[in-house]
Formats: sequence, structure tokens, C-alpha cells
Amino acid sequence: ALAGGHSATVEGPSVFWKLSTWGNPRAFTAGIEHLSKRLDEKTGGKFQLKIFYGGQLSKSRENLDGLKANAFEMAQFCNFYHPDKNPALMVMTMPFLPLTDFDAGVRVRRGLYAHPILSAEMDQWNAMYFESTHLPQYEFLGRGDVPKSIDDFKGLRVRAGGGIGVAMETIGATRQSMPAPEVYTAMQRGTVDAASFPYTYSHGAYKIDEVAEWFTSNLTPGTSDCPIVINKSAFNALPEQYKELIMSLRDEVKENYREAYKKADAKYLPQFKERLTEVVFSDEELAKFREIGGQPVWDKWVADNKDKFDAQAVLDLAVKLAKGE
Amino acid sequence: MVGSPNGIEPNITRGVIPKIIRQIEDLFNILAAMTIFFVMLLTTTGVFSRLIGAPLPASLEISELAIAVFAFLGAAYAQRQAAHIRLELIISNLPGRFRWLLEMFGSFLSLCLMLVLVVYSWEFFLNAWIIGDSTYDYEIPTWPAKLLVPVAFTLWAIRLFIEIIGFGRLALEPNAIPYNVPLTLTPEQEARLEILHSGAGGDGSFAAGKD
Amino acid sequence: MDISALIAGQPNAIFGVGYSDTSLVGAYVMILLLVLVFMGVRVVFAAGITGLVGLVELIGWTGAASIVGSVPYSKSVSFVLGLLPMFILIGYLAFHAGMTRLLFQAAKTWLGWVPGGLAVATVFAAAGFAAVSGASVATAAVFARVAIPEMLDAGYKKSLAAGVVAAGGTLATLIPPSAILVIYAIIVEESVGALLIAGFLPGVFSAVVYGLIIIVWAKFNPEAGPAIKGFTWSDRIKSLPGLIPIMSVAVIIITAIYGGWATPTEAGALGAMIVLVTAFIHGMRWRALKDALMETSKLVVMIFSLIWGVLIFGRFLGFSAVPEAFADWILSLDADPYLILLCILLGYVVLGMFMDAIGLLLLTLPVVYPAVMALNGGPDVTAAESAFGLNGTQASIWFGIIVVKMAEVCLITPPIGLNCFVVNGVRPDIPLTDIFKGITLFFIADVLTIIGLIMFPGIVTWLPDLMFS
Ligand code: NA
Ligand code: NA
Repeated sequence: ALAGGHSATVEGPSVFWKLSTWGNPRAFTAGIEHLSKRLDEKTGGKFQLKIFYGGQLSKSRENLDGLKANAFEMAQFCNFYHPDKNPALMVMTMPFLPLTDFDAGVRVRRGLYAHPILSAEMDQWNAMYFESTHLPQYEFLGRGDVPKSIDDFKGLRVRAGGGIGVAMETIGATRQSMPAPEVYTAMQRGTVDAASFPYTYSHGAYKIDEVAEWFTSNLTPGTSDCPIVINKSAFNALPEQYKELIMSLRDEVKENYREAYKKADAKYLPQFKERLTEVVFSDEELAKFREIGGQPVWDKWVADNKDKFDAQAVLDLAVKLAKGE
Repeated sequence: MVGSPNGIEPNITRGVIPKIIRQIEDLFNILAAMTIFFVMLLTTTGVFSRLIGAPLPASLEISELAIAVFAFLGAAYAQRQAAHIRLELIISNLPGRFRWLLEMFGSFLSLCLMLVLVVYSWEFFLNAWIIGDSTYDYEIPTWPAKLLVPVAFTLWAIRLFIEIIGFGRLALEPNAIPYNVPLTLTPEQEARLEILHSGAGGDGSFAAGKD
Repeated sequence: MDISALIAGQPNAIFGVGYSDTSLVGAYVMILLLVLVFMGVRVVFAAGITGLVGLVELIGWTGAASIVGSVPYSKSVSFVLGLLPMFILIGYLAFHAGMTRLLFQAAKTWLGWVPGGLAVATVFAAAGFAAVSGASVATAAVFARVAIPEMLDAGYKKSLAAGVVAAGGTLATLIPPSAILVIYAIIVEESVGALLIAGFLPGVFSAVVYGLIIIVWAKFNPEAGPAIKGFTWSDRIKSLPGLIPIMSVAVIIITAIYGGWATPTEAGALGAMIVLVTAFIHGMRWRALKDALMETSKLVVMIFSLIWGVLIFGRFLGFSAVPEAFADWILSLDADPYLILLCILLGYVVLGMFMDAIGLLLLTLPVVYPAVMALNGGPDVTAAESAFGLNGTQASIWFGIIVVKMAEVCLITPPIGLNCFVVNGVRPDIPLTDIFKGITLFFIADVLTIIGLIMFPGIVTWLPDLMFS
């Protein structure tokens, strides 16, 4: 009730929270900026959430360690940065999960976060899920011959991480890993032929379209997950009304991301279509890709992880949620 | 000003334990030096094999992990040789006892930091060990490289401890011959040391290069 | 200090301030840092201790100690830093490969005929040696042996002969390979390749300014630096084959970085390999290789320690947001950006009187760099909207080259101009006062160079721009 209408102010003590993220303000940080603004408004400036950009507080790959050490109260991280730290959340990188739209993604991520295996995984880092940044599906941008069929990926040097990378390998591409900011130069110089990124905002943010010649628009090879997490001890130390308040803002944050990515699409998609060749695969081609790059990769993931946790259950849940069952 | 007791070697070691520690430091620095050589060979081979179209798998990740060897193992050796830079202008012009007390205090503070680093770099290693942290592509475990940090820092802490005792002794007897302490040289002495050093090794002169 | 809170690991336990006033915490910690540095505590420890103290104040013991414990590994073990030992090793081996003497002889046959010809030849030979040496002191020491005797034999004034060697040594840090430019790139998270390439033209520009000022001066004081005549074209052509090894190293390093066919680290390793082979052909023994490796390793561990020590301090700065506050303050002055830049550079001159170049850069950049970037208009500013007419990346590279050149000037100015002491060490018969006197000319040249780089930033940004377009 306290966190209800827009006008009501939540009373409480002064709180100063630090959120650790990397890079500059962008669509990826739109939700946390909104959160910070709303907390400030709702508490009359009492609950301050300061966002530290550019890895000021911690390297992007060490944000979970920072939460464990109580160095800050909130953070963003990406699952593919450190599969060993979040093996169960890696399910979100499985290629060709049937995530057809933004809302399917919301169902899967929220459902997974609530599952005991995944929340226990975060417990180890003294962390709890707040909300996802709801990364869109990936697509490829590339340079050189336009791939007409899945076979054309054979022999290409492809920058792709997690399950998408494994899928690309199974169809005969060479997987390359490099930090996102380096892809631009690598593609320009021809040391990488294609790169997968969240579509369209990441391609645009890293200006890959300036050096690419084609883009895929319906391959939907999969995605990954970069959640916003809260330091559990810091959360537990909050007064009840602040706990309610912050959790009540989850939907706003989610909607904020929906808008941010929509805006990015409106900006970048016309730009891509004007500059680049759009590659649209036929249903048969997609089915072929799914057959070699989908289920076998899922099975391998389950086999690799079955000793650590009930990987099959996690995968089944993700698929079930995606289908909206 | 404190001159170098024997003109070239900036410090003297006395006592059984300091001599053992000195040997370990020398060994660690040799390992670090060999690793630099190894990385040079590996990287060169890596370039050629890539150019002929058969890239060496994991060579990049191995040379990255190898950095831990030369970034840390030689640290105590460098401390003994007074190679870690500092501002010498004031302290080297202070009168005897006061200088040694200040040196001792500075080394004590350094030891405090080093002990924190030993404990918490060990925890950092332990964390990597427990979760099975590995490199991104070829999944090489990172714990051996991370373990080098607390190992090298423990030796460095011991070196600082020896140094504190050495300075303490000098604080008691300011005119005694300094030993077991890294002597700081004036720029003239440093330059001379460099030239003597290169003179002994042949014809080059490269020791300082602190720029 | 609140001891019980400190033991309980709570924030605000040291100064009792914490996040209620981060600028005040920043001020306390900066003062502590200055005290420790002036007390003669080694910079790695001074920076590490103050960083730890500041972090404990802001976030309490557990967080602070874990961060401090993880920084050395996470900040050191990064592929690009593998470059440092390669660059340093090249410098240690290059003299054994006989490269200095051949360069000087070649430069003499080509440039000896101008007024002050041998001094001009020394400048350009040092610039050539800079293409294989990453360290300025080493270059000065080598040329003190090779060039000074010939200049004195030819009747050159002692102060000129010594001054040109001390100053010529500083060219090594601008012309790639350069360890200090790599360190700058790491600290400000800029592309290492771009920085290295950016140093090339300013290095050449610096050498040209040195050469011109010598010629002008020798024109009016012919007795101080007579021209050397009598070399034939045949002598000149014959001097070239000896330069093949040094040229190939330079070409490999520059084309690899510029063209991208190898990473800077790979180029460094290839260069070191070529120099090593040349040195063996030239008669170097295993013993000398071992010495070179041991010395390299000692210098490398010193630099790595400095980097993580200062980055612990940098972590504190990150949590404190002091650099943001400093940048805001600079912007609030509302003064001419060039005037502010000038003040910052003068600050470097003063600090440079007391400090080593790497320490100087590492300690100041975390605060100064964001301020300069903000002054220009921020990291994403376009050239048209910026204060210095440079976009974010260009400004970042441009400031790096200027500040490294500044730090190099400090190597030849009293009271601790290390290059001058090195020359004096090789040639004790030339008094320090004479050397510092001989430096005056080159100090003027350096001031002109820096003004040139500020007024014509294209000298810095042209090559990196070309590389990325
Ligand atoms: Na150089
Ligand atoms: Na100076």
C-alpha cells in the first residue's frame, strides 16, 4: 500500500546505495537510471541509488565478487562473462529457445529467477535477482559474401559466445572471442567475418553496422542474460517500506527496457536496411539450423552440468515458460 | 647520504635466514626471467603458426596466465635491490637515526599492507579454486596463476620483515655498516651503479630505464 | 577514529565521514598519500595503503580488503600487459646487437656536413635507436659512450655534446616501442596500438626541432659545434646495409600495430626475437642474455607493482567519485581551456622535479585525466563541439602524448634529471653543471615542441585517425 500511487511519499531513514556497472549510459542502463530516479522521487531524496559507470567500482566480470564482499549494494552482470559463477543461468544462452517476443523473454527470465536452483546460485554470491535487463534476441552482422544458407557459415570466423558460439561451431564456423568494443576494428580489418549481438541496440551501440555489409533479421539464434542484482545483506537491512518500494518498481524497470529497445530499433533498423543487405532465411533453412545447432547443444549442456545441479529441470522449465505453458 | 658499501652491490646480506631468503628471491626472479623468455618464444611461434594458417591453440591464454609469473614472483627480489621506485629526495638527506626510524616506520606500514594482500589474495585464489574458475575459450584453470600472488607476496612480506629488523638495528647504532636493508642511492650513485653494472656485463648500459 | 566500528568492519570508522562527504575523505586520503610519498615510502605501498584506508572509510573492512586483495591479479593478468617485458627486453638487447654504433656512423655520413653536424647526427641516431628502445635512460647511457667521444675529438663543446645525448635519450619514449605509452593506455583504458602509433610523428617532430635548434645555434657559434665534411655518397650508401636489423624491427613493430597483422604484444615479441638473433650474430654470449633477462624481470616487476598499487588507489577514487568532483571543479572555473591545460602542464613541471616519470603519470592520471577529458567536452564529444577541436578518443590520445613528453622533459631538468646523471656517470670528466647548461638549448626545443603539439594536434592524431578509418 505504501508503494502504491505516484503521489504518496515513502517515509524512512537516509540510505545510500551504490550500483556497479560498466560502460557509458546506454539502453542497457536505462532501467537502472529509471530506478534511481524513482527511488529518489518516492522517498523525497532519502533513498539515494548512485550508479557508478565505467567499471569504476569493479571489473564487469567481478561484480558478483564485489557483492559477496559487500563492496556495493547493487550490480549488473552478464551470465556469459563467467559460466563457472552462474552455471544454471547459462540456460539463457541456449540456442533457439523459443523466445518469440519481449513478453516471452519476461516470462522465462522471471520464472527462472524464482526457481530455487537459480536463486540458490545467487545466494552463493550474497545476491538476489531484482530484474533482468531483458536483452533482445541476437542476430548476426557480417562482412564479405552474404550467407544464403546455413552452410555458408561454414569456415566463417564468428564472434559469438555461450551456446550460440557452440551452435556456430557445430555448423562448421570458427568461434572467436573478443571483447565487444574490439569487434568494430576486427571486422574492419577482416580478422572476424561475422559477430552476434543483441539485435538491434548492441549492433548500433558498437557501430558494427558501419563496417558490416549484411545482417540477419530472422535467424534468432538465441540470447543471453544480464540481470540486475541486489546485495542480499543490504536488502535485508532495509526497513520494510523500502523493501516493498524497491520491489514494486520492478515492472516499471521492465517496461523501461521494453521502451529503450523499441527506441533503439526505431533508430537503427532503418539505418541497417538502408546500408546493409538483409539476410532472411527460409523456414527450411531455419529448421535445418535448429536441428544441428539446437537440441544437440541443449543435450550437451545438460550432460555437462548434470553433476552440478538438475540441469534437465532448469532447461525444461525454460522451454515450458517460453512456450507459455 | 648513504653510500653503497661496496660500490656496486647496493646491499649486503648477513645471517642464515636472510641468506636463505635471498636464495629463494634469486630463484624466483630467475623463474620470472625465464618466463619472459618463454613468452617471447611462444608468442613468436604463435604469430608464425597463425600466418601459415595453423594457429596454436590456447597460446594467447597461456601467455596471458604466464604474466602472473613475471608480474609477481620477482617482487621481493626487486625490493631487496631497491628497485621499487620512491621519492628519495627528502629521506636520503635526513640525519642518521631519524632517517632509520622513518625508514623502519615506512617499511612497517608496507608490511601491514602486504599482510592484508597475502590474506586476501589467498581468498581470491581460494574462490577461483572452489568454483573452478577458468579462462574463457580453452577453459584453462586460473587457480595456479592466482596462487602465485599470495606465494610471491608472502616472500615479499618476509623481505619487509628482514628490512624492518635491519633498519631497527641501524636506528640503535646509526653509524654501523648497513646490511639487510635496501639502500637507496642518490642519482649520481644510481648512474654510477648502472654504468659499472653494464661495464661488467659487456658493453651495454641499460640498468635503470625507469622512464 | 572509531576503533570498535573499525574492528566490526563498518564504514566511516577512520575519519567518521564516509559517504556523507566524499570530497573530505578524498582530501584526507590525498594528504596521507603525499605524506607517505614524501616520507620515502615506495610508491606501490604509499598508493596501496592510502587506497586501502580510503576504501575502509567508504565501504568498511570486508569490502575494502577483498577489493585490495583482488586488484593485483585482475589488473596485471591482462593480455595487453604482456607487451611490457617484450619492449623492455628489446632495449636491453639492442646495444648488444651493435645497433647503436652502426646508427651513429650512418647518421654521421649523412648529416655531418650541417652546422653542429655530429650533434644533429646524434639526435637522429637516437631517434632511430628509439625505434627499438622503449626506455629513455638506457638510450642516453648508450649514446654517451658512442657519440660523446667522437664529438669531443671533433672539438665540440662539452656542454653541447653531453646535452644532446641526455636530451636525445628522451626520444625513446615517444617513438614506438614505448613502455610508458603502454602504461598510459592501460591507465586511461585507451587503445594501446593507437597510443603507440600516435607517438611516432611527435617523436620525429621532436627530433626535427632538436636538429633545427642545433643547426641555428651552431651557425652562430661555429666553434662550439663544427660541421664534419668529407663523406662521399659511396660512404653514405655503404652505411645503409648495417641498418637492416634495426629497420626491420622498426618496420615490424609499426606495420603490425598500424596494419593489424599482429597484435602489439606479438610485434613486441617478434622485435625482441630479431634483436636477440642479431645480438647473438654480433657476438653476445649467454651470460649477457641472462643479465638482460634478469634486469628486464626486475624492471618489469617494478612496473607491474606500481600499476596495481596505483590501481588500488584508483579503486578508492572510483568509490569516492573524487575525480568527478575535481572535473566539476575544473569546469566550474569557467576559464579558457588552454589556460587550464597550461596550468596542469606547469603542475607536471613542478612535480616532475621530484618524481620519476612513470610514478608521476600513474599517481596523477586517475584524477587529472578525467578532468582534461571533461574540459574537452567528455568522452563522447564530437570534434566540432569540443574545447580543443578533438573528439573524445583524439583528445585522450593527444593528452597522453603531451603528458608523456612533459614527463620526459623532467628527465633532463634539475634537480633530478636522471638522464643528465647517467651521462655524467659515463663521462665523469664532464661536470653536471656543464651538462645542465648544455640542456638549456634542448629545454627550449622541448617547450617549442609542446607548444607545437598543442597548437597542431594533427601531429598526434593524424596517424591514429588514419589507422581507424
Ligand atoms: Na621507443
Ligand atoms: Na627533473
